[in-house]
Amino acid sequence: MFDITQLLDEIKASPYEEIVVTAPHTGVVTFADVREGARVIGPSGTWKEKKGTLLATIERERNQKPIHAVEKGEVKEVLRHLEGTFVEAGTPLVRLRHFLSRDEVLAIILKKALHLFVAPERAKYYFAPDVDKKVKASGPRSVSLHEGMDLFIMSRMKREAGLAYSGPSGVIYAVYFQHNENVDAGQPLIGVCPPDQLSLIEDVVARVQTEWEERE
Amino acid sequence: MQTKDHKVLVANRGEIAIRIVQACRKLGLAFTCVYTAEDAASGHVRIARELGGDKSLCRVSSYHDANELMAVADDAGATAVHPGYGFFAEDYRFARRVSQRDRKLIFIGPSWRVIRELGDKINTKRLARSLGVPTVPGSDRPIYDEMEAEKVAQSLFEFQEQQGIRKPLVLVKASAGGGGMGIEEVYDIDLFRSVYRRIRNYALRQFKDEGVLIEQRIRDFNHLEVQVVSDRSGRNPVHFGTRNCSIQSTGLQKRVEIAPGFDPSSIEYGFDAAQVLRDITNHSLAMARKVGYDNVGTWEWIVTRDGRPFLMEVNTRIQVENGVSATIARVRGQKGVDLIAEQIRIGLGEPLGYGQEDITFEGVGVEYRLIAEDPDNRFTPWVGRVDGFGWPERPWLAMHTHVPSDDPYDIPTEFDPNLALAIIWGKDLAEARERGVEFLDTLVLEGANNAGEPLRSNVRFLRDNTGRILKF
Repeated sequence: MFDITQLLDEIKASPYEEIVVTAPHTGVVTFADVREGARVIGPSGTWKEKKGTLLATIERERNQKPIHAVEKGEVKEVLRHLEGTFVEAGTPLVRLRHFLSRDEVLAIILKKALHLFVAPERAKYYFAPDVDKKVKASGPRSVSLHEGMDLFIMSRMKREAGLAYSGPSGVIYAVYFQHNENVDAGQPLIGVCPPDQLSLIEDVVARVQTEWEERE
Repeated sequence: MQTKDHKVLVANRGEIAIRIVQACRKLGLAFTCVYTAEDAASGHVRIARELGGDKSLCRVSSYHDANELMAVADDAGATAVHPGYGFFAEDYRFARRVSQRDRKLIFIGPSWRVIRELGDKINTKRLARSLGVPTVPGSDRPIYDEMEAEKVAQSLFEFQEQQGIRKPLVLVKASAGGGGMGIEEVYDIDLFRSVYRRIRNYALRQFKDEGVLIEQRIRDFNHLEVQVVSDRSGRNPVHFGTRNCSIQSTGLQKRVEIAPGFDPSSIEYGFDAAQVLRDITNHSLAMARKVGYDNVGTWEWIVTRDGRPFLMEVNTRIQVENGVSATIARVRGQKGVDLIAEQIRIGLGEPLGYGQEDITFEGVGVEYRLIAEDPDNRFTPWVGRVDGFGWPERPWLAMHTHVPSDDPYDIPTEFDPNLALAIIWGKDLAEARERGVEFLDTLVLEGANNAGEPLRSNVRFLRDNTGRILKF
């Protein structure tokens, strides 16, 4: 079993992550009034319905799209030379230094604690219809898994194939893939918690909740 | 504005993008290519960097996003858009938007009204029937309602029973799909509902449109096509002959295409093959004249074993297999016909400049689609890295590929694993077949996937099927 104290210490030693905000599509960039060193906030509210700090707008076909900070952090660099120019999709615009939040630390630690079911191939993944219904109705933790059950539909080049679960029985504790996005081979799809480890996992959650200080 | 002053936005990827760029160069036109992150290593990106002038390449978020394409066109100063095939090629809304926006662009394809008229299957069939052209029975439009779907299926089973068909069969396919994806066969009306639901859910996931088409599946047929070309006047359509595309994967995707459609000079058919070719060509041209068809297009036909043709659909775009018709076509006796260049030239408004009497045909053309897939396992696509790809140059061979032959290439999982098109010419069917086999035997195609398994391709399938081309 892993050592949670050591893990927490490691994360505390370098609690940052660099986030590069890129152009979601082509267009002409106008930066908002953000300076290097300024604090920005990410989306907030119960459903993350309040947008983060406005960083820039990108205009294409007379539509302006605001680009907001996706996480809270400090502005490290604004690529101002792009102001007023037409940029390609994926062009870096702003670099942020983000201090890991409690939930993110928890996610990192859980990834080590849970049994991970990984993607066998680079593909898009969907839950099988029965599982999908349960996940949508009562959340992933309502799904109990057992060896051999139909869990995923794997889609590549619009061809679909079923993918059965293999691993210990348990509930889906974490979901790591996004709808309609590709997952690389070897990347985790879900984290599974076997019933006998549930109390241990809950312990981990409690430790992180109390020990990790959120910073602005 | 003269033709050579235009700049063409190549709104597609891979092999067709390369062919459009080459056609533009032939005509002395500037161009701009687009690509997505997954395609950074594709040959069309490379050729755009090498051959393109100012603003000839731009990364976009998606090939499916019309706003992206318009924004790039404006920034690069493009005056026309070539949609290639797939993506926006048969989208009349896109064609209309392109030609009606403030900064107007020429859509290199039929005018949007023609695309709309022939893209609507009810309309196409109504038009066909009004001209006495036989059509395939089935639902004329996407169906969204389960009860209605069942009714159509029931009527198709009854129709086939009346026709004396012993094992009636209905085809259920995703309306927004194409290229043989999302198609299933139903032999029993009791199983129809479950298949219908499966296809509907598949279509919703993949295309965000749950419309389903229900058609009669005619077994034992040949799939023929008529290549039509017409300038913007829409008055003088000509044809560039017929093609036979009957050798397909189990998913009904074409694998080998041959021009002409039949070869009565060397093969005996159970019907008057020359007459069938004349009939489908005349029917196609009659329809093209009726709608004022004004660019390149393909009329797709199925021909039953007793030699009856039925119109399946009209593809209002250039097709993958255009090159196989071009390879046997001569204009005023001249070789080197390039239908993509012709499409661009007449699309930009030049008159065609020749008539049907100037077009002749010589020999037989065969096109192989080289694909990384496993024909023994329902043509499952193979994903991995190609690290050996080469072939001896021949005067009778044209290769179209976006896969580099001097660098390893990772097949993107976003798109079909098509690697290349090989077009082979022979003075007659026997020579074309012989050269086809020689090409396949000397082709080098190697690679491996993550697990170290060797590349799988359809080369053997193509070779095995070369013997039966044009036979019915």
